[in-house]
Amino acid sequence: MVLAQLGGSISRALQQMSNATIIDEKVLNECLNEITRALLQADVQFKLVRDMSTNIKKIVNLGDLAAGHNKRRIIQQAVFNELCKMLDAGKPSFTPKKGKPSIVMFVGLQGSGKTTTCTKYAYYHQKKGWKPALVCADTFRAGAFDQLKQNATKAKIPFYGRRMATFSGSRYSVMVLPRWPNEIASDPVKIAVEGVERFKKENCDLIIIDTSGRHKQEAALFEEMRQVSEATKPDLVIFVMDSSIGQAAFDQAQAFKQSVAVGAVIITKMDGHAKGGGALSAVAATKSPVIFIGTGEHMDEFEVFDAKPFVSRLLGMGDLSGFMDK
Amino acid sequence: FSSMFHSIAGKANLEKTDLQPALKALKDRLMTKNVAEEIAEKLCDSVAASLVGKKLASFTRISSTVQSAMEDALVRILTPKRSIDILRDVHAAKEQGKPYVVVFVGVNGVGKSTNLAKVAYWLLQHKVSVMMAACDTFRSGAVEQLRTHARRLQIPIFEKGYEKDPAIVAKEAIQEATRNGSDVVLVDTAGRMQDNEPLMRALSKLIYLNNPDLVLFVGEALVGNDAVDQLSKFNQKLADLSTSPNPRLIDGILLTKFDTIDDKVDPPFSSIYCLSEVGAALSMVYISGAPVMFVGCGQSYTDLKKLNVKSIVKTLLK
Ligand SMILES: Nc1nc2c(ncn2[C@@H]2O[C@H](COP(=O)(O)OP(=O)(O)OP(=O)(O)O)[C@@H](O)[C@H]2O)c(=O)[nH]1
Ligand SMILES: Nc1nc2c(ncn2[C@@H]2O[C@H](COP(=O)(O)OP(=O)(O)OP(=O)(O)O)[C@@H](O)[C@H]2O)c(=O)[nH]1
Ligand SMILES: [Mg+2]
Ligand SMILES: [Mg+2]
Repeated sequence: MVLAQLGGSISRALQQMSNATIIDEKVLNECLNEITRALLQADVQFKLVRDMSTNIKKIVNLGDLAAGHNKRRIIQQAVFNELCKMLDAGKPSFTPKKGKPSIVMFVGLQGSGKTTTCTKYAYYHQKKGWKPALVCADTFRAGAFDQLKQNATKAKIPFYGRRMATFSGSRYSVMVLPRWPNEIASDPVKIAVEGVERFKKENCDLIIIDTSGRHKQEAALFEEMRQVSEATKPDLVIFVMDSSIGQAAFDQAQAFKQSVAVGAVIITKMDGHAKGGGALSAVAATKSPVIFIGTGEHMDEFEVFDAKPFVSRLLGMGDLSGFMDK
Repeated sequence: FSSMFHSIAGKANLEKTDLQPALKALKDRLMTKNVAEEIAEKLCDSVAASLVGKKLASFTRISSTVQSAMEDALVRILTPKRSIDILRDVHAAKEQGKPYVVVFVGVNGVGKSTNLAKVAYWLLQHKVSVMMAACDTFRSGAVEQLRTHARRLQIPIFEKGYEKDPAIVAKEAIQEATRNGSDVVLVDTAGRMQDNEPLMRALSKLIYLNNPDLVLFVGEALVGNDAVDQLSKFNQKLADLSTSPNPRLIDGILLTKFDTIDDKVDPPFSSIYCLSEVGAALSMVYISGAPVMFVGCGQSYTDLKKLNVKSIVKTLLK
């Protein structure tokens, strides 16, 4: 995984600094430049990187450091802390409790991995003795109903949704599209509410709502998402983000947060080559923690995310317990 | 800054040092458009090479000479080396009594299936008969997704359900199309990560076994630094994992989700690293030599466009 590569270049930069006999402004700047470069190549937002660099310079005021202080250690600790800060949303996300009904809604850009991930999330909890259920509120994407239904069937998780109904016979006119006029439009808000009601009655303790992919440039799509959220009152909204996303990550994540109460982030496709810097942007933009990562297409390719070990790994520095904030 | 605009008309031959400031400025400008640094650098080197030793026409500025040399270089890169006139190639195949076969490949979730449907719609508009082949036999709902598009567009679909070998399904689909006289077969494939060896091998098998007319790489405009890696690894793996001595590589690029990208950039900071689809397009074309055949810009059938080389070059140098 390429996170290791990113960690490699950052720890190399720190190492080079360690090799220098005297640590002065120039050495610090060189080190920070290297780190900046590595983070930008990992798609971390430009502004975040710049802020981090400024913060470190502020913390590590070389002139103020009395002789005898271990400058290297101070710089390393500052880098570590700043990266943790970027990944740490400050407060933990809402955590559902077993046996107590919770509603969790998944949102995100088109193709980011929502449908796959909400099944993984359900499956993960089911194995721990929960009674999860899946609701398909994506009435737009072709095959969305079947996709979630097949996933749910495989995992033996109860499922609610409605297949798109179609007018038969009439020749379909393609010119006036966006939302398929010859099909009886299903209302995602209505389906979501029906699903939630049914599974509440059936005493499910984790009701998971899958929604269509959307992007901030189309206001109507955001409005639909807001309505689903308003009608179902989720306890937690999870923003699902693809690890390969570039600089657009921050703005898109922020726009989602402004429309619905995003409370947690899941980063998908971490099995790929992408450096996953979008994760840092998503946390910064939504002020929500990353709770899981997706590491493959299969149901069980799903891991709990933990910021501090993640950063240690990012820095390629092994055990950093001595480094962490006391 | 102003020194860049000095006229050195009348000076003998251009030297590299004369060009340096203008080239540096140009390189930075390309990078603000998300052209990968490495590629911007190479472009500048080739422009320098083409100008060193030449005489500057009288009363021209170095900056404009450099600019127009760069313009030529960009147009050269972006102008397809092979025919991208699919309709003509379709007709040529038809005359030989064969269906024209397009395989859509790419990483997970970029928009292969949706844009396959848009290409089908575009072909229908041009009176070409199309058949879809459901060769994503892995991802849940993939067959039903394609079936929905086929039903909406009222075109035939060849499907064999899930868990079948996609290479074989594609082969049977092409045989079926030959029988029923379809002009084009559009082959959908499962998304896969460029580093996933077994899946890349399976793709290579599908392509080797069916020798399609066009291998179309689908990439999304949202992608960051991974864009070039995705494309170059697909190419490399298709070459390395092929059992054939003359492996097929990627012939063309389809870039999706242009509508999810903001063009405007907040000037002081984000500009340098802000993703601009234009630069991603250039990097991808540069790295693979494959042209951008289509651009996807929305979720309905009509949201498919062609890349305009002139306007791209203009944007890059703006
Ligand atoms: N390799 C890999 N693929 C993944 C992962 N998560 C999801 N995918 C794949 O990404 C593609 C898109 O996933 P979906 O779950 O359909 O995405 P979505 O966000 O529901 O898409 P829309 O509903 O169309 O917006 C599928 O091919 C998934 O199998 C992951 O962690 N690793
Ligand atoms: N906004 C926007 N969305 C798009 C575009 N093209 C595709 N999509 C959406 O992206 C999501 C994924 O599209 P698919 O066609 O299923 O992607 P895929 O590459 O076939 O996915 P897998 O087969 O799972 O790897 C869907 O929600 C599409 O509607 C586009 O140009 N713009
Ligand atoms: Mg989905
Ligand atoms: Mg697909």
